Amino acid sequence: MIWWVMVICGLMTFSMRFVMFSDIAPKQLPSWLEEALGFVPIAVLTAIIVPAVIIAPDGGLMLAGNARLPAALVAVTAALFTRSVLVTIGSGLGALWCLDWLVY
Amino acid sequence: MTEPTTSRSQEFWAGIRAELPLQLGVAPFGLVFGVLGIASGLSAWQTILMSSILFGGASQVVFVQLWGSGAPLPVVGASVSVINLRHVLYSASIAPYLRSLPFRWRVPLAYLLTDEAYAVTIDRLRNGVESPFQHYHLLGTGMTLWVCWQITTVTGVVFGATIPDSWSLGFAIPLTFIALVAPAIRRRADLAACLTSGVLAIAGQPLPWKSWIILAGIGGILAGWLVHLHDRRRAAS
Repeated sequence: MIWWVMVICGLMTFSMRFVMFSDIAPKQLPSWLEEALGFVPIAVLTAIIVPAVIIAPDGGLMLAGNARLPAALVAVTAALFTRSVLVTIGSGLGALWCLDWLVY
Repeated sequence: MTEPTTSRSQEFWAGIRAELPLQLGVAPFGLVFGVLGIASGLSAWQTILMSSILFGGASQVVFVQLWGSGAPLPVVGASVSVINLRHVLYSASIAPYLRSLPFRWRVPLAYLLTDEAYAVTIDRLRNGVESPFQHYHLLGTGMTLWVCWQITTVTGVVFGATIPDSWSLGFAIPLTFIALVAPAIRRRADLAACLTSGVLAIAGQPLPWKSWIILAGIGGILAGWLVHLHDRRRAAS
């Protein structure tokens, strides 16, 4: 069963990558669609980031005593200033390790 | 006869060289996925082959989490689709450079079109010299990421149990996305998309099967687009 779901999801993902390479695709996306799709990475990835940082395993908000929150803020700052994936991941993980060790 | 400006191998190796540094972000992500696949109840083969069949980090992570929690299949499919919808945009933006290639080239290049390969190769296509072999650059970036993704997935599957929890490697996933999202927020509309999505993702926590990803994703896209329309109308008047 899982194989079928995997293959279907794989085909859908491939189609989304291939769609504009195909011979029948319009030369350009309609401008409204292109504008809307431009917000997909920010909207979808934020929906994954935020719960991963501040939601506890039981589904509740976790603000105080949560080392992930300050560590994520360090990473956001690093990302804004350096625009480097490496520095962002390094500083975020580093901050989390330090906080785990020092405070929590 | 005009000499080509770059050769096949120059393009291919330039792609590999430009893509390699990004693998320091891809590698922990692949490891985490391998660990997570096993932890969610998938077999080693299912986890390893998913990295070839889907080949999309965020969607694979969500897939195994949903599968592990027993979500209905349409929810799995819809979540994977919403997460991977951004590839339509990459496809559209890179297509003008590749559309004249034969089918046997376009299929593998589309398969290899991931966030990090796109980001590196679109920079070369837009700002580098034009060359009849520039598609070899995408082959180089795409294959580099593919190889790294497969190796780290297998490593995560095999050695996952030995990685201590205190390393918090799972945190590498949101950190990778922070690295992509934070610098992308340039306009008011981007911020609106981000904030709306964040709020909906928290508010939607009681929803079953992580449906908040679909809710917050679509809500964020709508909010960003509406603010964008509003700003453009105001700028025009």
